[in-house]
Amino acid sequence: MANIGRRGFVKGATLGALAFTVGGAEIIMAAGEARARGVPFRLLDAHQGETLEALGETLVPQARESGIAHFIDQQLSVPPHESLLQVRIFNFRPPFAEFYRTAIAAVDEGSHKLFGRDFAQAPAADQREFVDRMRQNKIEGWTGRPAAIAYAVLRADAVDVVYGTMEGYEALGIPYMPHIPPEKRW
Amino acid sequence: MTNEKVDVVIVGAGASGSVYASVLAKAGKKVVVIESGPDWELSDLISSEIWGRRVKPAGGPILLEGKNPMGYANQAGWGVGGAALHYFANFPRLLPTDFKVKSEHNRAQDWPISYQDVAPFYDKVAREIGVSGDAKAEERWRPAGEAYPMPPMKTFRSGNIFLKGFEASGIPMVPAPVGMNSVEFKGRPACLYDGWCHVGCPIGALANPLVTYLGDARKAGAEVRALSTVTRILTNQAGTRVTGVEYYDDKQQKQTQEASVVLLAAWSAQNPRLLLNSATDKHAKGLGNASGLVGHFMMTHNVASTWAMFDEDVQNHMGTIAVQFMSYERYAKTSHPGAFGSSFVTAGFALKTSDLANSRGDLFGPELADYMKRAARNLAGIKTFGEDQPEMENRVELTSAKDEFGMPLAKLIHSYGQDPLALWNANLEEGLKIAKASGAKEAWSARGGAIPTSHLMGGTIMGAGAGDSVVDSYGQSHEIPNLWVAGPSIFPTAGASNPTFTIFALSQRGAERMASQWAALTN
Repeated sequence: MANIGRRGFVKGATLGALAFTVGGAEIIMAAGEARARGVPFRLLDAHQGETLEALGETLVPQARESGIAHFIDQQLSVPPHESLLQVRIFNFRPPFAEFYRTAIAAVDEGSHKLFGRDFAQAPAADQREFVDRMRQNKIEGWTGRPAAIAYAVLRADAVDVVYGTMEGYEALGIPYMPHIPPEKRW
Repeated sequence: MTNEKVDVVIVGAGASGSVYASVLAKAGKKVVVIESGPDWELSDLISSEIWGRRVKPAGGPILLEGKNPMGYANQAGWGVGGAALHYFANFPRLLPTDFKVKSEHNRAQDWPISYQDVAPFYDKVAREIGVSGDAKAEERWRPAGEAYPMPPMKTFRSGNIFLKGFEASGIPMVPAPVGMNSVEFKGRPACLYDGWCHVGCPIGALANPLVTYLGDARKAGAEVRALSTVTRILTNQAGTRVTGVEYYDDKQQKQTQEASVVLLAAWSAQNPRLLLNSATDKHAKGLGNASGLVGHFMMTHNVASTWAMFDEDVQNHMGTIAVQFMSYERYAKTSHPGAFGSSFVTAGFALKTSDLANSRGDLFGPELADYMKRAARNLAGIKTFGEDQPEMENRVELTSAKDEFGMPLAKLIHSYGQDPLALWNANLEEGLKIAKASGAKEAWSARGGAIPTSHLMGGTIMGAGAGDSVVDSYGQSHEIPNLWVAGPSIFPTAGASNPTFTIFALSQRGAERMASQWAALTN
């Protein structure tokens, strides 16, 4: 590969898992493991992380445990051309963090209007109703990208962490059959 | 910094640029290929949908507008191989009617060449890089040509299960031609049918440029400069010749590469962006743009997807991302009453978990989890590609926003007219009938959300002269003889077939022309 200069491009199967910072050192692990070990977020604050986990879990069961917030946080911390987030495929312009910040703020604002509390604190039935409204672009006063786009992107992120990994394939009984497997089975 | 002058500088290391690089390097020309993305190797192609996103652009320099924006980032390439590093390698061809739309239907415009001008190059490309299929079976719809060098690919239940329904609908299905190896070919192994084609095939069973034209070009001496972004095409003072390109290298240093010939092969949106950004006092509207047509007539196929859930296990994890069966039965431009344009019908393809989830984008929560379990065994699909019509207002134009090199971003404005929309609906309706006639327990059309788009064509269309087009049938600018353009941007109509086989064929034809006319071209 050519000299990549300042871009510092991540390349190669040996980097097939995410690098999380633990005690000042970078450790390669899957997003779910990072959550289980309580790895601090790089960019998200605790509330943003909690909200992403609640949204992810509502969209795809097991997204919380699979580390959706750690996955998004870690991916937002790398240069855009290294990011593996679905926003890349949705043709969003970097910085991608802006989309997540705006979406989380819009979700909380809408949740307060409907349920009088932050989304992460709402009962599961209310969270479900809210997400269904997002899907249909039926959140009054929603700002930023259309709610249905936010639904699609966040759902795709949740599908990634729950079903896009080798473990996700295994759970569905689908043979993964890789040519070059991702390291750390993710 | 100015580099030593070369014979040809090629902008873009994708499908078309790789063909030119190979043909010209083998002809003894000094070739430099400048590519904005990384220099991928086969070992980079990890079998993961998540990691596979690395070979696509992140925040590409194209903004999307219009009622039906094209799904740019998902379709585009980033790095050597371009979009052909992650393409599905479906190799249908355009048919004779695509070249004569104006003559036959008084719509759009004719190509300045006929099917027969391109046909020998389809055959040549097939021999060169390997195509699996059954040419005889296809010839019920198209003129005869050479047999494909390899037999058809294996089929699986996810494709075979639809044959009954197609037969009931009067649509004969034949093995789909693909740029993949059903058997070992020229030292490249046969396909393993594991469905990871779309994130890049690291074993070389799929004919991506790394294992075909670009590999050949490098062996013949072509130089590839990766992570280098061309921002302008340079001209002489009189504006009569191009002299090279300006680019930013992998250290983001500004460089100049002089060349006797400049070839733009940077895909349909970037080619016009570069021409428009290279305006001078002699070419105030952009290079090669006296007609004002640079950036216009952008086209993208619409995709009518039908999903079907069966009682039996259809083995949808097996196969390739390319389709197993195809038909030109609805290719005649008037196949669907009230919906002008060709349709290309396909069925049977491997599915990954994201495909399963996307097939019911409305589901979430426990309902999605339940659906995923069923879809993992029982889901299969039909996809029909519908022709887009060339419209002047569907265009690429520069914006006031700039990229990291100070080059204006482009916006790609695209809306479907009445005919493509009617065609999409007609194909969805027909797909649903076929799925039901195939015995599906449940069948539904993918109608939610935006209309899916696939492939990008137009922007620097070919034609007979500067009055109605940007380049001639070889890709040579009507106005500046040593400026050439390659790839789907030179298509004046879109047809409905996946375009890459035609891109390879037209590039082979253009490159051979350039080599044979070299003396006249460079004097």
